[in-house]
Amino acid sequence: MSASSRFAPAALSAPAVLALGIALLVPLIGIALLSFQGFDFDKGIIPRWDLANYASLAGDSLFQEALARTFRIALIVTVICLLIGVPEAWIIHRMSPRWRGLMLLVVVGPLLVSVVVRTFGWMVLLGTNGLINQGLLALGIPGAPYRMMFTEFAIILGLVHVMVPLVVLAVWASLGRLDPALARAAESLGAGRLTAFRRVVLPNIMPGILAGALMVFCLSASAFATPAMLGGRRLKVVSSMTYTEFLNTLNWPLGAAIAVLLLIAILAVTLLWSRFIERRALRRLGVG
Amino acid sequence: MPTASASDFLVLDGVAKSYGPVQAVQDVSVRVAQGEFLGLLGPSGCGKTTTLQMIAGFEAPTAGRILLEGRELAGIPASKRNIGLVFQSYALFPHMTVAENVAFGLEMRRVPKPERQARVARALDLVHLEHLADRFPRQMSGGQQQRVALARALVIEPRLLLLDEPLSNLDAKLREEMQVELREVQKRVGVTTILVTHDQQEAMALCDRVAVMQGGRIVQIDAPWRAYDAPADPFVADFLGRSNRLLARIDGATAEAAGHRFPLPEALAALRGEVALAIRPERLRIRPAGQPGLPGKVHSRVFLGGFWLVRVETPAGDMLVTVQNTGTPPAEEGAAVTLDWDAHSLRRLEAAA
Repeated sequence: MSASSRFAPAALSAPAVLALGIALLVPLIGIALLSFQGFDFDKGIIPRWDLANYASLAGDSLFQEALARTFRIALIVTVICLLIGVPEAWIIHRMSPRWRGLMLLVVVGPLLVSVVVRTFGWMVLLGTNGLINQGLLALGIPGAPYRMMFTEFAIILGLVHVMVPLVVLAVWASLGRLDPALARAAESLGAGRLTAFRRVVLPNIMPGILAGALMVFCLSASAFATPAMLGGRRLKVVSSMTYTEFLNTLNWPLGAAIAVLLLIAILAVTLLWSRFIERRALRRLGVG
Repeated sequence: MPTASASDFLVLDGVAKSYGPVQAVQDVSVRVAQGEFLGLLGPSGCGKTTTLQMIAGFEAPTAGRILLEGRELAGIPASKRNIGLVFQSYALFPHMTVAENVAFGLEMRRVPKPERQARVARALDLVHLEHLADRFPRQMSGGQQQRVALARALVIEPRLLLLDEPLSNLDAKLREEMQVELREVQKRVGVTTILVTHDQQEAMALCDRVAVMQGGRIVQIDAPWRAYDAPADPFVADFLGRSNRLLARIDGATAEAAGHRFPLPEALAALRGEVALAIRPERLRIRPAGQPGLPGKVHSRVFLGGFWLVRVETPAGDMLVTVQNTGTPPAEEGAAVTLDWDAHSLRRLEAAA
């Protein structure tokens, strides 16, 4: 092999690597460095190098609360998305080709709408004078109107709405690789439709389910716009807390420290997930 | 137990299936005896697989009835029919070992574990795979996977075994071995079996009777050798093996084709006028030029091991001739020859124009 062809792959991928390096790595390193510096309300950023920001966060109950809320919401959203998305993908998969295309379009619909527009839509629906409460009042439901805006319920609802398509698409890809005769084989052996799905289809689309779950979890944990708009000022998640530190308090180093902690937490979850859960599922299928 | 004579074990009575305006299966009626091995044979799109799906319970007929042991199957889901299925893709569960695959149907029937294990072992023994019980399907060859699929379908002691193109994913040599094995296992177990295939050689080798299908209908149903010897129409003649067409003018006890006059069998002696006759390649004989018969010229010859396939150009059209390989090659390409045959080898093709 000639020298030029040996270096060709590196040369060809150089532009992408360069762009990624400049656009991602440099800011990331900048944020990491920033998180070690100090801050004073009068003097701004103080050039010093210590772990004071991290120490203060470790003792900050507001931050701990936001961190717990962030992961609680992400976990609940992931579970709900799986419960909705996996059967949804299976049902659409079994539809006739004509309906299948249409239904897939409906499924990815939420992804085609801007996050701000979508979230405002939920605000219109969920407000105390919103459509849902008006409907409940008109029906004479006791206890109405309910407070739905600025609750974790609202955040979860808004996130599930946009995350379900990700699960459907990830599972869809797995279903496409599945031999359609498998479910029929299980049925011919005496399994009902539900049993056939649970015992035969489900284990074989696990890679798609796990990938979808991880995507949903990471995106929910780092989501900013939806929790900020539907959760309001008081119900903070880690990403909206970072935003407040950077743009309201102007304490950039503290905001940077929060961002770094969120990144580490998500990375840790991802690594543990793929190390222990995903790899085991894949090994069973002989893929890993 | 509802009464049903052994010859009416499975009855398809005027079964039809249409998808919108498309008629996939039309008026299929057939009676299958207990223990019989029936083949549904035809080109793709002839409705054979749809017929199988309806028997299995994955498609509902739009007309007609299907009765198994005298009981109508309509409304009974596939999972309650107790019909074993072997798929073209084998459809083994990739996440289960061979033993787990075979045990699945017994598990669904809540067979207790000790009995389950014994029956799985017996089923694997039947297909000579007991030593591979702990393998995963992906670690096995196509032929082995095929045998696992067969064991999995048989272990539930099905009332009926359906085979959907079971051997078409195997290479030629393995396919022949599996044909012998499949036939043996079926005879030993004695299960009534329906095979769907587009491979006429496979259908002829395995089945007690074949139903040749075309355009959603059964055009002929007969023992393989009888359907081969007396095809009902040009389609069957062509689909079951090779066949030569000879357009002849019949007057009296003899016929004439392209200037060659030849005798007719008694069965055809009553015919008059232009008639399409058929003759199998193995019934034609190649003689040296100048002898009595249909004159021609060798166009090509192909060596196929056990025999030669020779194409001879004649004034009555191209004729295929198979010549037993006896160690001496037949006439060379370009050589002038004469074709000769026995009168009783001639068949009349129905509906020929």
